[in-house]
Amino acid sequence: MPVLALSTELSKPTEQPPRKWRLFGGARGAARVVRVAGKSLAVTYLSLLVLIPIAALATNAFSKGLGSFWDAATQRESIDALRLTLLCALAASLLNAVAGLATAWVLVRDRFAGQGILNAIVDLPFALPTVVAGVTFYTLYGPLSPFHVNITGSWIGITVAIMFVTLPFTVRSVQPVLESLTFNAESAAATLGASPVRVFRTITLPALAPALLTGTGLAFARAVGEYGSVVFISNNLPYRSQVASSYIYSLATSGQTNSAASVAVVLLVLALALLVAFSYVSRRIARARG
Amino acid sequence: MRRSSMILRVVVLLYVGALVGLPLVFVFQQALIHGLGTFFRALGDHQMDTAMILTAKVALIAVPLNVLFGVGVSLWIVRHPSWLTRAIDTLIDIPLAISPIIIGLVLELAYAQNGWFGSGLAALGWHVMFSLPGIVMASIFVSLPLVSRQVIPLLREMGNHQEQTAATLGAGPVRIFCTITMRSITWATAYGVSLTLARVIGEYGAVLIISGNIALVTQTLTLNIGANFDNFNDYQGFVGAALLALASIVLLLILGVARHRERKRHDYLA
Repeated sequence: MPVLALSTELSKPTEQPPRKWRLFGGARGAARVVRVAGKSLAVTYLSLLVLIPIAALATNAFSKGLGSFWDAATQRESIDALRLTLLCALAASLLNAVAGLATAWVLVRDRFAGQGILNAIVDLPFALPTVVAGVTFYTLYGPLSPFHVNITGSWIGITVAIMFVTLPFTVRSVQPVLESLTFNAESAAATLGASPVRVFRTITLPALAPALLTGTGLAFARAVGEYGSVVFISNNLPYRSQVASSYIYSLATSGQTNSAASVAVVLLVLALALLVAFSYVSRRIARARG
Repeated sequence: MRRSSMILRVVVLLYVGALVGLPLVFVFQQALIHGLGTFFRALGDHQMDTAMILTAKVALIAVPLNVLFGVGVSLWIVRHPSWLTRAIDTLIDIPLAISPIIIGLVLELAYAQNGWFGSGLAALGWHVMFSLPGIVMASIFVSLPLVSRQVIPLLREMGNHQEQTAATLGAGPVRIFCTITMRSITWATAYGVSLTLARVIGEYGAVLIISGNIALVTQTLTLNIGANFDNFNDYQGFVGAALLALASIVLLLILGVARHRERKRHDYLA
């Protein structure tokens, strides 16, 4: 340690540069003041906007005791909404895990005209407002559907809307990994007589698994809380087609803030737990592969 | 092998086309269904235009604040790691896992009249609920991590050798930031800014709760589209939707350019 200290001591310029900002003790001092001020501002910003409001939510949910929290969370309407949300989110993110993998594969391994358009359009759900997607899906597949398909008020409609919203997550997490994958192991396996399916199953897929899981986890977390794209096509029928966020909204706007906070805490914990679980498994797989 | 990859290509194109392409085309088809003249007349709708101006105002306040925060906090997390930055690194991603409705609700619980700070703020004449500050706060919340998530990995990968070299050669902190740091993270930041802008313009659930959706006062463009639909004024709704779809296509192009430039820079350095 002394050697290190000595070397930094020596590397300091012997002559002080001319002081421009005397007030803060030179440019270096000014930079330090700016840095400390910036750090405090960042912490304040995060606390005021995110952390304190979330604390207010938790406090409010339990403000009338555990019993009241439990009653609000286990209302039949609440249980039905939570179950519907989880099932639709699961269906949509599993479908998109497969479709996203296929899309990433086509984007990286295939070459054809118009590929750039496909690559760009995959990001559209990130850029298109959810309400635009919501009203469009409602008109496309609702009572006035030009295809005479009506999937409003059912889990199918909700799942389709969520599939749209979560499409980019898996594609964008798998694509870079697939790009960096070299063909060596795959071609070696193929030379040794492995069928294309076997090569994919034993070599390519395990390498992509962590990214695939991370993407699916992000999609799942997003899907569980989705509102704008779902609310139109779902028709919001209690017990039947009301998703959790929609149920929370109806509670919050009808003066039942306390119940709304309780269901919100359940949904929030579910989403965070899912996210943590997915990233844990994905890290475990990545570590097991070395 | 060739046939199977052909089948996969067609299946993927059909899936993405039906799920994403078709709705996009449909929005424009619906907006232009009564011809260009009607479309342009509908653009002059007073309620929609007021909503659009409000959305622009919100974006002009929320996006710069989040970009400043995102870049600053990324530099802090990567360059001065501590227990605090590790905590921030985790906490900053929370907004991505929260339902927009819950975001609106938590802000209401903290800042509404009967919330934690509501009465204190009201005494100062500052109202968060049903007004611009609340809408801005909700927009900031939903898009908080979008810049830093792009910038942090890049800064990590870059290291700070160039900056140290510049410092040794006598460059001041401002000059180092402008000529080296900012220049290397420009495209990643641009990507983050576009995502932030898209999210702020497009936010629906959180703003719905916080703003109260009062026409001509606190109604943003997304809320206006939803309201038009609820009032069976589908055509006007699709006109607004087409405008937002157009904006998202422009943002998509910027995203594409940013990703392309960032990859080129990356390949050049590698």
